[in-house]
Amino acid sequence: MKKIIYSIVTLSLLVFSCTNDDDTFMSAEPLGAYENGILVIGEGGPSSVSYVSNDFATTENQVYFNVNDENLGVYLQSLGFNDDKAYIVVDAGTITVVNRYTFEKLGTISTGLMTPRFIAFNGDTAYVSDWADPFDSTDDYVAVVDLNSNTVTSTIAVTEGPEQVLVNANKLYVSHKGGYNVNNVISVINTSDSTLETITVNDVPDEMFIDNQGHLLVLNAGANQSWLSPPVETEASITRINLSDNSIITNLEFPAGQHPSLMTYQNGMAYYILNNQVFGLEDAATVLPTTPMFSILTGYSYGLSVRENQLFVSDASFTGNSTLLVYDLTTGAETGAFTTGVGASKIYFN
Amino acid sequence: MKKTIILLLTICFSVVAFAQTPKDSVQYLDQVVLNDVKLNQNAAGFKVVVLKDSVLDKNTSTFTDLLRFNSNIYFKENGYGMVSSPSFRGTNAAQTAVIWNGISINSILNGQTDFNLINTNNINQVVIRNGGGSVQYGSGAIGGSIHLDNTLNFGSHFTNAIKLNYGSFDTKNLSFVSDYGNDNLAVNIGVNYIDSDNDYKFLGTDQVNTNGAFDNLSLNLNFGYFISQKDVLKLYHQSFLGERAFSGTTVTPSNSKYVDQNFRTMLEWSRSSGSYKSIVKVAHLEENFEYYQNKNSEFFTFGKVSTLLLKHDFNYKLSKTLTLKSILDYNNYKGEGSSFGTPKRSVFSATGLMQYDPSTKLSLGFNLRQDVTTDFKSPLLFSIDGAYNITDFYKIKLNGSKNFRAPTFNDLFWQPGGNLDLIPESSYQLDLGHVVNYKWFQLQLNTFYISTKDQIQWTPNSSGFWGPENVAKTHSYGLEAGLNVTKYFNKHQLKFTSNYSYTVSENAETNKQLIYVPFHKANASIAYSFSKFLMYYQHLFAGSVFTTKDNLKGPFYSLKAYDVANLGFNYKVFKTTEKQLDLGIKVNNVFNEIYQNVAFRPMPNRNFNIQLHYKF
Repeated sequence: MKKIIYSIVTLSLLVFSCTNDDDTFMSAEPLGAYENGILVIGEGGPSSVSYVSNDFATTENQVYFNVNDENLGVYLQSLGFNDDKAYIVVDAGTITVVNRYTFEKLGTISTGLMTPRFIAFNGDTAYVSDWADPFDSTDDYVAVVDLNSNTVTSTIAVTEGPEQVLVNANKLYVSHKGGYNVNNVISVINTSDSTLETITVNDVPDEMFIDNQGHLLVLNAGANQSWLSPPVETEASITRINLSDNSIITNLEFPAGQHPSLMTYQNGMAYYILNNQVFGLEDAATVLPTTPMFSILTGYSYGLSVRENQLFVSDASFTGNSTLLVYDLTTGAETGAFTTGVGASKIYFN
Repeated sequence: MKKTIILLLTICFSVVAFAQTPKDSVQYLDQVVLNDVKLNQNAAGFKVVVLKDSVLDKNTSTFTDLLRFNSNIYFKENGYGMVSSPSFRGTNAAQTAVIWNGISINSILNGQTDFNLINTNNINQVVIRNGGGSVQYGSGAIGGSIHLDNTLNFGSHFTNAIKLNYGSFDTKNLSFVSDYGNDNLAVNIGVNYIDSDNDYKFLGTDQVNTNGAFDNLSLNLNFGYFISQKDVLKLYHQSFLGERAFSGTTVTPSNSKYVDQNFRTMLEWSRSSGSYKSIVKVAHLEENFEYYQNKNSEFFTFGKVSTLLLKHDFNYKLSKTLTLKSILDYNNYKGEGSSFGTPKRSVFSATGLMQYDPSTKLSLGFNLRQDVTTDFKSPLLFSIDGAYNITDFYKIKLNGSKNFRAPTFNDLFWQPGGNLDLIPESSYQLDLGHVVNYKWFQLQLNTFYISTKDQIQWTPNSSGFWGPENVAKTHSYGLEAGLNVTKYFNKHQLKFTSNYSYTVSENAETNKQLIYVPFHKANASIAYSFSKFLMYYQHLFAGSVFTTKDNLKGPFYSLKAYDVANLGFNYKVFKTTEKQLDLGIKVNNVFNEIYQNVAFRPMPNRNFNIQLHYKF
């Protein structure tokens, strides 16, 4: 009997005297140079930035943490680049400014932001879409940031759920995805006097690009509120807008039930994903393509970017690391797969 | 350094404890009077641990703290006082049932009980029943169940107790309990109020927990009356009104808050006569929450559920060795909330329990249960258990059972994502226990295996929503050891209690350990009392946990192991037959350990608490 008791006591002592292995909790040695590569943001949490060099030879996860020995908040929403700086937008209300090549922290913008989403630049000014209180559909705004002082100098009130922002010829275009609700508006803000016009599009406008003709290309995912009674479901579409008079050139609607949410654009061709198939839409197209270019294999596509002959897709996991997949645009073959952070979303080229 | 101290302390105490030969024959396992008779009569083959009021009294903080320092259960706490969820034998919070005076109080919204919304000041004892208990306690009792019991004291008495606590972070805790009884009547009233700024330092940073203040008021009323010699009427009521700001993380500030209101009322009529006992219970439970993402805003989301429960237990003693019992149970749930409409559910269940004790050495239980539910089909559940006394002090316990966890209203109706095609999670398990009860020490050693399929998991689907599916298969196995030693010598008393668990809980396909399940967890308390003094030391060790399913180590993927300890002193200022005044001082996290049990959510630094406990 005594033996049993002693062995139990010994066991408990062993447990208490276990030493912690602290080594794995130090930041990894940072590369220090993040140009000539691909950056993938991980929404989190914890949020992170991953790097893959253009030649795919070097990869690093948690770049910001490794360089600065601190974490970004959750959830990492987007990155913006201006000159040699990168702006890391976290929807808890902060934008962290870093050197885009070394990722060393230069400062933060936190006052005046509540639920920031995306950032765009025009000279010394940045524009940040902000949902404010997401439950309040009337308090949304675009924050105007002075990049010299990194402060919000004014706000421009806009309609519910401003999402992506794009500056073109002294105008700021804001897609109103709708936040927690559904919206169908593109705001057009004159950056010189902050006057506001709106363009109505299909529901849930999100991704925006300027095409080769200088037109604005918008992906509207369409409402998909199957849980409402009666359910609300509207058609998705890709809209091309003439920026000289904000008129709609084409509005190519998807069949009911199809809700593409990711689109990217390069040199005369927009690419979007629908049910794990990649489609290409030429600028001159008057109908949506019916045959896909190729198929991809992801669990949950959460980011899409194109460069030259390569299509990059984030296959997001929210409970573990995600994967960045690379496809050859001509053959559709998978040419690379890299581990990225938790909840990997947008893909940027640095 | 601190580890050395702990080691020395442990060794000293152990040596002292073991060097003594038993001099007395004090009864260590007090006869426990439970109102939930199933725990006594139908759990012979299960590990059951009782935390009595002496342990509850010493706990001046949360229910979570009580359990993490005194049981094998691991807790995830979103910062001190915030949402707290247990992992029992490697299972998740929705697989742990919380039973209040015999009925389940897990929320039908998320399947869980938030352990920081339970106030133990008005609870007489907490019983931890390890292992599957769905046959007796329904959905969710997969890892184990935790029972909160109020006992009614008949017999002529009138006692009152006031507890006043004041502690760090401007924490105030006031409680008053009054207990009255005569031959026919028992009344127990308790009021408790807690208020804390909870603005502790995030150790190792210059941050403080800026949005963590909470307060809550709880009211208990328990009443028992013998209508006749055979009939007892009992009424239990509990109200809980709480408001909590929700702590941010080290990297993300928060400005949100929760308001909770829970009301539980149960009327019970029991009639016993000779060989039978019949108990009818009618209960009404109500839970309400309001969530303010911005606590200064008027916008909030809400959820509420009202539950009506009717239950009939019938116990029939056929012979000295054979007892049969039937339970008929009807539950009606009505929910309403911002994100899930107005769902309803009715559940009817029939349970048969057979207890066969062929000799004083052997105890066997055979139990069956079938639920009929409006939303989905429930599996037929069973449990078989047995206990055999090999010697006077050594007993073997064995149980095997099938258990389940029903999809919650959130799982089924959440907008968007809710999935009406879900089926219940089902789980098989086996548990072998050894109990050594040798005069001055008790040892419990359990090994278990749990296999769960159709586990409900929320993942993003192709239409961009998060939705639940019956996807995961998991299995858990492990070992639990508990050692209690009590020694008396002259006026000195030394009491050592400890728990250790080794838990492997894996995704059955990837064989990766589930997130937030430590392989090792251990706790120990040493209490020494002499005359009017009592001194105690509590220690908790929790091993490293993974925070992502990849099982990688490092700051983005895992949390460090930690040791946290409390030290307390009590002094009996005076004691007469009618009056007693105790003064207590407790130092929590005495070594100022930096630790988190949820990533980016630090737990408090060293803090203090003073308690005055006056009984009259």
